[in-house]
Amino acid sequence: MSLRDDFQPRWKLALKWGWLAFAVFILMAPTFYTVYISFNELGFGAKYYIFTFQWYESVFSDRQLLGALGWTMLLALITLPIVIPFGLLSAKLYKQSSKKVWIVFVLLSPLFVPADILASALLVFFKNLNKVFTFIADFTGIYALESWFDLGIMTAVIGLIVYTLPYVFVVIMITMARYRNEQTEAARDLGASAWRAFWEIEFPQIRAGVFSACAFVVILTFNEYTRTSLLKGGFDTFTSVLISQMLNTGMSEESYAMASIVSLVAILIVSSILIFTALRTEEMEKVTRIVKEPNK
Amino acid sequence: MPNKNSIEVRNLVKTYGDVYALKNVDLDIADGEYFVLLGPSGGGKTTLLRSIGGFIRPDSGTVQIKGKNVDNLPPDKRPTSMVFQGFALFPHMSVYENIGYGLKLKSIEKGIIHDKVIKMMDLVGLSGLSDRKPHELSGGQQQRVQLARALILENDVLLLDEPLSALDAQLRKDMCIELKRLQKTVGISFVHVTHNQEEAMSVADRIAIIADGEMVEQGSPKEIYSNPKKKFTAEFIGEKNILNGVVIDFNKSKILVNIEKDEIEVANNNYTIAKNQEISLSIKSESIQISKVSSSKTQGAKNSIRGKVTEITFLGQFIRYLVLLSNNQEIQVRSNNEVEGVSLNDQINLTWSLDDFLIHES
Repeated sequence: MSLRDDFQPRWKLALKWGWLAFAVFILMAPTFYTVYISFNELGFGAKYYIFTFQWYESVFSDRQLLGALGWTMLLALITLPIVIPFGLLSAKLYKQSSKKVWIVFVLLSPLFVPADILASALLVFFKNLNKVFTFIADFTGIYALESWFDLGIMTAVIGLIVYTLPYVFVVIMITMARYRNEQTEAARDLGASAWRAFWEIEFPQIRAGVFSACAFVVILTFNEYTRTSLLKGGFDTFTSVLISQMLNTGMSEESYAMASIVSLVAILIVSSILIFTALRTEEMEKVTRIVKEPNK
Repeated sequence: MPNKNSIEVRNLVKTYGDVYALKNVDLDIADGEYFVLLGPSGGGKTTLLRSIGGFIRPDSGTVQIKGKNVDNLPPDKRPTSMVFQGFALFPHMSVYENIGYGLKLKSIEKGIIHDKVIKMMDLVGLSGLSDRKPHELSGGQQQRVQLARALILENDVLLLDEPLSALDAQLRKDMCIELKRLQKTVGISFVHVTHNQEEAMSVADRIAIIADGEMVEQGSPKEIYSNPKKKFTAEFIGEKNILNGVVIDFNKSKILVNIEKDEIEVANNNYTIAKNQEISLSIKSESIQISKVSSSKTQGAKNSIRGKVTEITFLGQFIRYLVLLSNNQEIQVRSNNEVEGVSLNDQINLTWSLDDFLIHES
């Protein structure tokens, strides 16, 4: 919806933009205040403000936190190559299917289940699965099977896949909606295999959506607390360490610095995605419109 | 006219749920023939074309191209190329890359691809546009890119799915001439789907009328236009008037038909008919002459009927009169010039030559 209306008075337009700016300010003010405090040597509530990087230095010398950062990155990197093809295939299935409502319902259903409940359900499911695999291991003598569903990287990754797949599906589906299947048919007609038609014709046109989905997966992995906390087994993730530190010692100045890093990186990535996707979408819309209606 | 068949379709059936898109369609297209599938939207012509191209698997029936059964071959394995309705150019590739893409897929040497692409661009009139992206081209140029991309593969058959529907009227006429010229140059069979009669008439060696998934009638453009055998063809092609009537009497040369309150005479072109048989007749709007009731022009006319002018429309090259007959049927009359003394609500005489009325199988 456009904020412009050629017949409205200028003050009304200014009012609309003003309201939008106010809403953004209200939403973002706590985040920017946290960033502001994180650079104060005297900390929260101090009468004076002395600019410093010392709280950031403390964060980057915190071995536990850096270790957790590594684990989280590893989780994201393992999740990405699994969930992105899943999302792509789901979006393609959605586009080709006549049962679109059902596909959307099934794929988005994890979003409607509260995080705690879904995480507990997965935990119980894995525990039971473990029993089954232990039985199979005992029965077959293949004891490697026994630990397949022990809590750890694999269970945490499965939890993250369940969590991130709906987002990946939606982001790719939106980009894919503008792609015309006739181009795949044309490529097939010219002699391309199904894979080459996808890789050389379709993928370059939906790349923006796929890259955006990748960025979302990384952000969501960093953002996730409940599922990874319950399913991670013996390692810690960035958010779980951050929250446990806050719970144990209260909000320290290091906590503000950590929160600021996460917030700024997330804002930077999300803004880049939004701007890139918006520009790419606008460009693709223009190209598609011209190609589809060549005389307009 | 070449004899050998390039495409043979036998008993093709395709259903979508309970709806028949194709009902036992048979079709033969000769080598080097420009064949047009003409019919109303949703009639099955695109389904037939896509079945030939391998984009749709029919429920039953066979398709042979150059004597080889292609029923189980996907599009990339068939000796056909397709020109799509929406152009389907690859927007991220240049004109050169679009045209050369099919050859690149065949792993042909770059130098050979270059020579062929340049030659093909010359043939379709795209020289100098190789670096442009599709959205930087006009509609006609985009269509030429698609033609070049399909023709460069030198397949046996070119399938064209409503290729000119996205172009404006003048460009469509120009492209019709261009398509016909290209087909003569490359010498392969073109199978062209359209719902536009003028487009079909201007390019086709032969036309097949398809409606409701059935092959209604086939023939040369002249046969289809001037002497349609089926009532549907008569209704669909040109600006025809269809009348329903009952045979009163007939001999070897004439048939007397009752069209409710009037009786008319038509020529008997060896029709298989019987007395009291219900029939449908058609006459082209340009074959009827219109004149004032008092006019002496009606004297000596072989057949005539009275009516009242209910509408007069100026359509540029001609004028269309809408005439209401006494049985409440409306007749369209097309005249090159305004008929002197005939105006709205006038009682007029319609006259025609006996041979101009045709009797159709329903």
